[in-house]
Amino acid sequence: MCHRSVGLVQGAVEASGIPTVTIAMRPDITYGVRVPRAAWARFPHGNPLGEPHQPEQHHLVLEALLQLLETAEDRSFVELPFRWRRWKKWL
Amino acid sequence: MFDLQPIDTEGLQEQYHEWIEFIARAHEGSNPRVNEDPAFTPLSKPLSASRVALCTTAGAHLDDQEPFNVLTHDGDHTHRVLPDDLDPSRLRFTHTHYDTSSAEQDPNCVFPIDRLHELVERGRIGAASPVHVGMMGFNPDPSPVQDVLAPKVVDLLHDAEVDVAIMVPG
Repeated sequence: MCHRSVGLVQGAVEASGIPTVTIAMRPDITYGVRVPRAAWARFPHGNPLGEPHQPEQHHLVLEALLQLLETAEDRSFVELPFRWRRWKKWL
Repeated sequence: MFDLQPIDTEGLQEQYHEWIEFIARAHEGSNPRVNEDPAFTPLSKPLSASRVALCTTAGAHLDDQEPFNVLTHDGDHTHRVLPDDLDPSRLRFTHTHYDTSSAEQDPNCVFPIDRLHELVERGRIGAASPVHVGMMGFNPDPSPVQDVLAPKVVDLLHDAEVDVAIMVPG
């Protein structure tokens, strides 16, 4: 429900004239709620930026979000080229 | 530059409807609210000149702010204003529908406030917003999120003259 709540707020912020981007760990919900820009992170809930105390990992995710802001010309949903390494389910 | 490919959307709408039906069975008051006629706003200026805000539904609040209500199935569509100069060690994460242990070890996992400041230092973005927004995403009924919470966040971001918002779920 975090994804739906943040997606509904995102839609309102975007419609008010402020560009937005989000990270999605549940792409089905983010897709269904219909947001302007989203990036799917194959990470577990609770870790949209990555693992604790991994600042370079966090920066990779943020840089991808910034790149999406700079390049998207219409509503866009992309996949981040990163994987979660410590949990087999997410490999 | 990353190679950001569009996701394969096949089946996502069906998965979303299955989730909506699941939520409707599990909780009263659920309804299939979405962003009707979704907007797209282009950047108005380069990111290096933009003021950026963080908005998270990961249940983030400061230790002296009222925790979000997670004791009922009613949800909580209130928000907490998080000043940009906050002490990250005072952040708390009140949310019972995701594992908050990573956020408790390092708030940047869901609320990348230190990373945002590093992006300012590097000149990648122009400035951090003076305020950010903490919310709690467990809201079985999305109506007050869209009708009450979202307009408040919109006003808050415009008052702070924010150019870009990064939205982070929990």
